This record gives sequence, structure tokens and C-alpha cells, in this order.
Amino acid sequence: MPLDFKQNFFELFSLPVQYSLDKQLLAKNFRTLQTEYHPDRFANGNEQERRIAVQSTGYINEANETLKSPRLRARYLLTLHQVDFDDERDTTHDMHFLMDQMEKREALESAAQSADPLDAVDTIAKQVKQEQDEIEAAFAKHLAEKNLVEAKEAVLKMKFYERLANEVKSLQEKLEDEIFA
Amino acid sequence: MALLQISEPGMSTAPHEHRLAAGIDLGTTNSLVAAVRSGEASTLADEKGEHLLPSVVRYLPDGRVVVGSEAKAVEVTDLNNTISSAKRLLGRGIDDIKTLAGRLPYEFADSDSQVPKIHTVAGDISAIEVSAEILKTLKARAENTLGGDLKGVVITVPAYFDDAQRQATKDAARLADLTVYRLLNEPTAAAVAYGLDQDEDFDEKIIAVYDLGGGTFDISILRLNRGVFEVLATGGDSALGGDDFDHIIAEWILQQQGEHASNDPQKLREVLVEARRVKEALSLSDTVNVSINDWSDTFTAEQFAELAEPLVKKTLFACRRALRDADIDKDEVMDVVMVGGSTRMPIIRERVGEFFARPPLVDIDPDKVVAVGAAIQADLLAGNKPDTEMLLLDVIPLSLGLETYGGLVEKVIARNTTIPITRAQEFTTFKDSQNAMTIHVLQGERETVEENRSLAKFTLRDIPPMVAGAARIKVTFQVDADGLLNVTAEEETTGAKSSIEVKPSYGLSDTEIETMITDSMVNAKADMEARKLREQQVEADRTIEALDSAMQSDADTLLSDDERNVLLKAREALVLAKESANTDSIKDAIKAMETAAEFYVARRMDGNIRTAMAGQNIDKFKE
Repeated sequence: MPLDFKQNFFELFSLPVQYSLDKQLLAKNFRTLQTEYHPDRFANGNEQERRIAVQSTGYINEANETLKSPRLRARYLLTLHQVDFDDERDTTHDMHFLMDQMEKREALESAAQSADPLDAVDTIAKQVKQEQDEIEAAFAKHLAEKNLVEAKEAVLKMKFYERLANEVKSLQEKLEDEIFA
Repeated sequence: MALLQISEPGMSTAPHEHRLAAGIDLGTTNSLVAAVRSGEASTLADEKGEHLLPSVVRYLPDGRVVVGSEAKAVEVTDLNNTISSAKRLLGRGIDDIKTLAGRLPYEFADSDSQVPKIHTVAGDISAIEVSAEILKTLKARAENTLGGDLKGVVITVPAYFDDAQRQATKDAARLADLTVYRLLNEPTAAAVAYGLDQDEDFDEKIIAVYDLGGGTFDISILRLNRGVFEVLATGGDSALGGDDFDHIIAEWILQQQGEHASNDPQKLREVLVEARRVKEALSLSDTVNVSINDWSDTFTAEQFAELAEPLVKKTLFACRRALRDADIDKDEVMDVVMVGGSTRMPIIRERVGEFFARPPLVDIDPDKVVAVGAAIQADLLAGNKPDTEMLLLDVIPLSLGLETYGGLVEKVIARNTTIPITRAQEFTTFKDSQNAMTIHVLQGERETVEENRSLAKFTLRDIPPMVAGAARIKVTFQVDADGLLNVTAEEETTGAKSSIEVKPSYGLSDTEIETMITDSMVNAKADMEARKLREQQVEADRTIEALDSAMQSDADTLLSDDERNVLLKAREALVLAKESANTDSIKDAIKAMETAAEFYVARRMDGNIRTAMAGQNIDKFKE
């Protein structure tokens, strides 16, 4: 049976259209779909079958990657509510938030210079993780209340936290390397 | 199609034919081919019983190509025309070569192509063509052994191979006239060979594949989940391998002999050969006698361990880093697979075992394990095992992105994303009436354009005039199951579609591949013609010799002077034709000479018959 590309990502995996996610069910249904549509199943097929297989699994993988990521899942839910995103231009204008992000980055830099850098960075990491969770919870609440403008604002802020978390991680790695090398 | 199928009692008639398929490990130092026969996957040997084909190709002045140990044997004496480690050059551009220069002894030719070419007596050769020769040799070996044409193959590549390197591998297969079912990551192949996905006790397990070859080291962390293989992280050192362990023993020998560095290449080679023997002997015994000419000493495993420590540590450091990239703790790793001949060293097995706190898997020959896994997958993809559930999902090893303002890279598909994948990103124009947009595709993890690998750059034209920001340009990345990328761009608002297909900058263009294929066919045709010419020349010689010997024995009695002149003229014409090196004129001249000599042949036969009868009479008389 050919894959129905009209289904949204949640429908594709037989999941409810909501922010809260059953990761195990997603993983299970993802594997079932892969088993059916993967190009390896059509290694001896004709060119059209192989092309359809690549497109089908491409769609399945894209859906899986989107739902697995909290930020992308949130963003996708908003697009289902006709909220537009312009990734090049959209950003939060919450000055208080932006100042706070800058302060966190500076704190990260000075932590690297402190007496026990790993410990100092770990403290920041915990704080970042906690605030990330708070933003996700806020998003879920805004969406449930159909407060789409606030929900979009939360998604834009998630991106800042995502970048910050990546920076924390690469700094932790750098510090560990220096210790073990 | 058979009209009547006969089957043994109890055996079902197979509803489909068994398709011949093989797994190929195209290695830096050695290559192998394996196949599933009677349900068992094993590597295939050449006619001398050798399984490993040294990845060395020699080009001869007459265009002949020698592959394998015969080429390797003359590597040192015919350095410029004998190419080894071509895998290091696959998918590399001219700029990469400059950074590798000094470590590669070849003369690179100036060329218009994006692909660097090595200058040899047989012309300028790319790494893709060299690899194709190795693949052709393995293909022939497989087809001879299996007794038929291969329907398809699985070729293994390092997990970290980028788009250009994967594309180059596929191009090589195309030149070798092979159908590639799939490019498979080497560590995944090794895990398949051990059947680690078949473990029913665990839903999910993490494994590490430690691959120490002759000149490279790779570590990969994989997650296996009911037949789904996921590469979580890879790492390693492309300039660390078993050869480095030979070198540390060689240095020790030179030191003991009181020489710190030898400038005599002959002597250095002797020492290296002995060092290698000592290293291999240490796999079997703790103390080894070292001797070169009249010098000798003993070398212990303990000494070796001490000298090799920095190298071993380097590999373990890479393991630690890969685990961290994968976000996995050491104790979560449930199996450690050993790959590569250098993992036979007891010290490696010991230290890797210590590091992961579990004995590594060494049951399958570490040289063959990758090819064996590839063969199992090839057999599966050929459709010979319709009931198997195994599915190998690979991830993309490096992030793919686009150049944005200020020379920065915007990631479109992050590394470790499961492939195949299709992802679109929208862009817009930033000037009024902007009618073109340049799209620069990059691969890598860094933030700036210069630090990443440029895969392709193309311009989308004919964007209808609009105010800045009104146009919607959708750039779509499509990565197939082999990790190969296709990028298309189109302007959406007007419905005017303009798309373009991208080939990596460092790959061969389709035209180049076509040319190579045509060239090889032209060469095959030239070879055939040369053979025909040689055949006719030999034939001409034979005809002339026959005439000469006949005339010598009986021209005086059987031929008049005129007749003799006619024959000699025909002979002269044939000699000239032979020197012309034109197959057709030689053929004609032979024919002319045969026609001219018909009467002579007839007369000689008459004479022979008379002689024969006369002889018989005499014989009879004697009786």
C-alpha cells in the first residue's frame, strides 16, 4: 500500500495530535513503517519503486526527526494551526529574555576561567535544562489555551535555549578533553 | 523458463531464482569479496588461494593494468605507476591533495577536472579509476567462483565517509560495471557479521566497533534495535594503524644496533620487514628473537607494551570521545567488535577489553569480518531471504547546510539524522527585483563556510521580479539510503519552477564518467583490433615460411622461371603488407598469395601422392 503523504506527522505514526509524546510508541511505529517502505525492500525493484521508497522513507524519517525534537514538534504543531514561521527573520523581541541569554553566555565564559571550571559549567548546565523544561511546559499550556501568539514566542525562545545547551555541551567536552589528554 | 521443475522430496521448488550477490570490502590496504553460499557467508579466494587482495594497482606502458600482490611486489621499484591507498584520495579535491602531499609519493597531473589525477605511463588516472580496477578484479573473482553474473553488490565504506567520498565509491562501481544495492558502513557490516542484531534478549543494545587497520583507526558506536542499526557516533585517526606499531619496533632495533636513524632505504626496509615479523610473532609468544644479518637480540611483549603505549592510548582516547559524542556511558556498551588485522595484537585486545570492561569479540577473522557482513546484507537485498526482518538504517555522518549571510552555515540536516531523508527550507530575496540566488551546499559541523566542505554551488536563475522578501525559494535536500545528496531549488510564489540537481564538487561529472566508460570500451575495441592484427601477422609469417620451405625443396623441379617469379612477387607483396600493420591488407595479401600458389600446391600434392604411392609400392615390394 503506498504511503499517504497527506497524513500529518502525528497521523502517520498513529499518535494523537498533541505536544505530550509517547516516545516508545513513536519508536515502535517508526520501525514498523520503515520495515514496510525502506528502499532496501526494493533493491531489485524498478526505478520508480525505488524512487517512491526513497520519498516515502524520507517523509517517515522527517516526521520522526520532527516529533522527536521538542522544539521541532512544537513548531510543527503550530504550523498545523496555520501559524507561519520565517526562520531567517523570526526572533523574539522580549528584551528581558535576550538580556538574560546574554548574561548566561557571559557566565559560561567566566565559568570556564574559574578554579573548578567543570563544576561551574555543570551548575549552569542544570539551570539551562530546568529553564528549557519550563519553556516547554509554557508552550504546552499556551497551545492548549489556543494562545498561538504566546505559543510561537515560546518556540522562538526554545531555539535560544537549544543553542545555549549546545554551547554548554561543547564547553563541557572541551574541558574534559583538557583534563584527560 | 523451465517447463518442468523437478525437486527433491521435501524440498520446495523455489518461487524465485537465487540471485548472485556479493559483499565487497574496498579497503585502504587490502580488499576482499565475500558471498553467501549454501547459507554460509565467507570470503572468496583467488586461484592461488589468497583471500586478501592488496589494494594496489600498477599501470604499464602498453595500457595493461596489474592489480594485487603482483603490483604490490613492484611498488617500491615502480613507484610512479603503482598506486596504493587510493581510498585516501576517493572523493577528494585538488585542495585536499595539497594537504595530503608529502605523504603521497605520486605525481599529480594538472587537469581541468575537479578530480585530482595521478600521472602514470598509461596516462592520468583518478582514484576512482584505480578503485574501479580493484572492483573489477573482485567482480571477476566472484563471478568465476560463483559461476555466473553478479546481480548486485554491497560495498562497504567508512562510517565517516562524506557525500563526495560515497559518490566516488559509487562512481568506481559504475566504472566496474557493478550494480550497487547499497553502500554499507563498515562498522555496521561487522556487527551484521556477528549477528548482533539477532539477540532476542534485548530490545536495544549498544555496541562499539574498534577497527585498527594497516594505516587507519576507526571507532564507531552503534545502537541496535530489532534489526535496526543506528550509527550513533564515529571517530578515529586516519593516520594511525598497524604500520605505526611496526615502526616503533623498527626504531627499537635501530637503537639497539646503535643507529638512531638510517638513511639507507635498503637497510630500513630490512629492519621494517623484521619488525613486522616480530610484531606478528608476539601474538603467539611473549619473547621473540630478533635478528638481522649477524646481529640479534630478544624482544619481549612487555617491552612492546611499553613502547606501544602512546599509540594504544591514542586509540582509547578516540573511543572515549566517540562515546561522549554518542552520549553513551562506557558501561552501557554491551559488545565490542574487533575489526582489522592489527587487532590481532594481544596488547590491543587486552587494553580494549580493559577499557570497555568486557572481552572484545574476536571469533571472526578481523580481516574478513566486514566483507562477511556485507555479503549477508547483499544476499538479503538480492531477495534471497524473503523472510528476514533485518533492516539496516543508517544515519548521515556529517551535517548538511547552506551558506547564509556573512559566510556562516545554516544547518539543514543535522548529523546522525536517519536516512533517507527529504527536508525543505524556505529562503527569500533580499533585494528588490533580485532575479537570481546562489545556493552553496556545505557539509560539516563548523559554523563558517571555510571550515566546512563545499559540496556544490549553483545559481537559481529566472526569479520573477518582486520586492525584496516577496519571493519564496524552497531549497530541498534529499539524501538517499546510501547517504548521497540531491539538492533542488525552486521559486514557489509564481509557480515558476526552476530546479537543479547537484553533484558534489569533488565528484566526477556525469560527462567524465561517460567518457571513462566510452574510453574503456574504445580501449577494449583497440585491444581486440590489435589482437586481430597480431593474428594476421602471424598467419602471414606462416604462409611465407610454408612457401619458402616448399620452394626450397622442389621449386627447381616443379616450377618454370615465370611461375617462380609470380610466386616471389606475391611473396614480396605479402611481406610489404605485413609491415603496413593493416589487418585487412595483410588478409588480402595472404589470400592473393594463396590464390597465386594454388597451382603449385596442386602440383606438389600430385607429386606427393606419386611419391607416397611409389613409396607404398616399394614398401609392399619389400614385404
